[in-house]
Amino acid sequence: MASPRKKSKKKRKTRRFLIYALIVIVVFIAGMMFAPLLQEKAYQLKEWFVKPPPPDMKRVKLYFSEPESKYLVYEERKIVAFPEITEEVKSILEELIKGPHDSSLSATLPPETEVRAAYIRGNCLYIDFSSSLRDKHPGGTTGELLTVYSIVNTLLDNFPSQSYVQILIEGMPEETLAGHIDIRNPLGKDLDIMKNP
Amino acid sequence: MDKAIRVLLFLFCFLLCAYPTKALQNYEVGNIRYKSFSTHTQIIIEKTAQTDCLPARELTSPPRLLINLFPAVLLTLQGRAEVGYEKEIAVGDSFIQAVRLKQEHESVLQVVIDLSITEYTYNISSEEPDSLVIDIRGPRDASDKDLVVDLLKKIELSPSISPASPEQKGKVFKIVLDPGHGGDDPGAVGTSGLKEKDVVLAVAKELASLLEKEPGIEVHLTRDDNSFLYLYRRTEMANQIGGNIFISIHANAAPSRGATGVETFVNSMYAEDKEAALVAARENRPAEPKGISREAEALLWDMVQNKYKSESNDLAHSIQKRLSEASGLEDRGVKKAPFSVLRGAAMPAVLVEIGFISNPWEESKLKKDDFRKKIAQGILDGLRDYLKKIELIT
Repeated sequence: MASPRKKSKKKRKTRRFLIYALIVIVVFIAGMMFAPLLQEKAYQLKEWFVKPPPPDMKRVKLYFSEPESKYLVYEERKIVAFPEITEEVKSILEELIKGPHDSSLSATLPPETEVRAAYIRGNCLYIDFSSSLRDKHPGGTTGELLTVYSIVNTLLDNFPSQSYVQILIEGMPEETLAGHIDIRNPLGKDLDIMKNP
Repeated sequence: MDKAIRVLLFLFCFLLCAYPTKALQNYEVGNIRYKSFSTHTQIIIEKTAQTDCLPARELTSPPRLLINLFPAVLLTLQGRAEVGYEKEIAVGDSFIQAVRLKQEHESVLQVVIDLSITEYTYNISSEEPDSLVIDIRGPRDASDKDLVVDLLKKIELSPSISPASPEQKGKVFKIVLDPGHGGDDPGAVGTSGLKEKDVVLAVAKELASLLEKEPGIEVHLTRDDNSFLYLYRRTEMANQIGGNIFISIHANAAPSRGATGVETFVNSMYAEDKEAALVAARENRPAEPKGISREAEALLWDMVQNKYKSESNDLAHSIQKRLSEASGLEDRGVKKAPFSVLRGAAMPAVLVEIGFISNPWEESKLKKDDFRKKIAQGILDGLRDYLKKIELIT
């Protein structure tokens, strides 16, 4: 009586151990299979629980007209840094349109101007403006020169990897904004118009 | 039973060891495409942002272009390529025979472009992080010469327009005056409503009447009434007349009301670095069937005006000096800018700004006839100084 009972006890023990081992292996294999999924979920969970860090700010230079409208001078501004360069271009131009904080300086773009799109091809930034940039422009060679080069110099100063800026109006290249400065082609930086660059 | 446990333990350990070897390597090169154009062939290599392109090497006999990508692993249908894996993409157009790829090393992918031509130019652009664009073109010089020939045909340069030659003494000297704006285009408008187009027309007419009195000088106006003229038409007219000097007259405006003074402009080149600009112009343009691009045309127009660079500059300084004296306004100097209206002029050309209509004080001056006369006299005196300098008049 005693020996078979002992035997069955031992058998039961082994069986139990085997079951535990099987469970461990099944869980492990299942874990392996679901690990990538879990990793993804963990990332999401982290996003839910950990507060997003404050947005990265970027210091940018915006060029405006000085009181005699002979030169462009810059004002420093902090903007939210975007991962996409084209997003950042748009946000810089929107700041430029808003005008300077210093009241002795003047804005160079009509306040109604909107930036429709910005994109990069090769080493040239293409900026598509609304028609207000042309239609609401007050005119004058000096005014036009300051408008064009505040755009070009601001962008090329903040994005040194680019060499040219092409201004577009409603998606199309325009001959001039107000009858003087040729903007049919991509323009490079003008250093003469900057005071102490 | 012990056996079973041992097997299970072994399996467990094996899986544990195998897991870390699945570490990710994320520099991969995927699809490679090519596009054949009549002017060039473009190869596009899709890659991950980490993959970089080492400087290309030009190999001869047969002509090949070797580019090493690092770190890079070629992705094939079977997965990541083993070291030594080779692949050939046959192209067979007028620029490229084939593109060969070889996994040189665990992380170096060699790209060899077999060229169909011995004289070629290439450009590798990796502006986009996820692709590498390689353009193969024919030799640069030949195509540029074609562009220039095409344009010169268009311009129809007449031989009679070169200025400042002594033989021209006694001949009729043609001065083209161009009052800015006109018609639907008022130009800048002052706070009290004075329009640039009206002021400049009055000044140009005044100057024309003064110039008519000068012997040996013929005056032409691009417009003598309130009519609209396209910018290109103004220089086109001047070139057709066979003008010797082109003066565009404008009134200024600025974002700041405090801006005052007179200034004279000459055309500045669209780009100092012509070669780079031409390349940029080419790359920015979508494949065009034939003819010259807008950009190339404007560049070449610049070259036309550039021939008269020093004359234009001399003329601008003479006029600026006398104009600032006569007007009594601030001298803002001679400046350069890329002007649509000056670009195409096949003669010395300047643009004169006779005062700021955006400045209320200068606007009120510009309204007055005697001030307009002073301005016209100032430009005339400057012009006379220049003509004396080039010994056309005494």
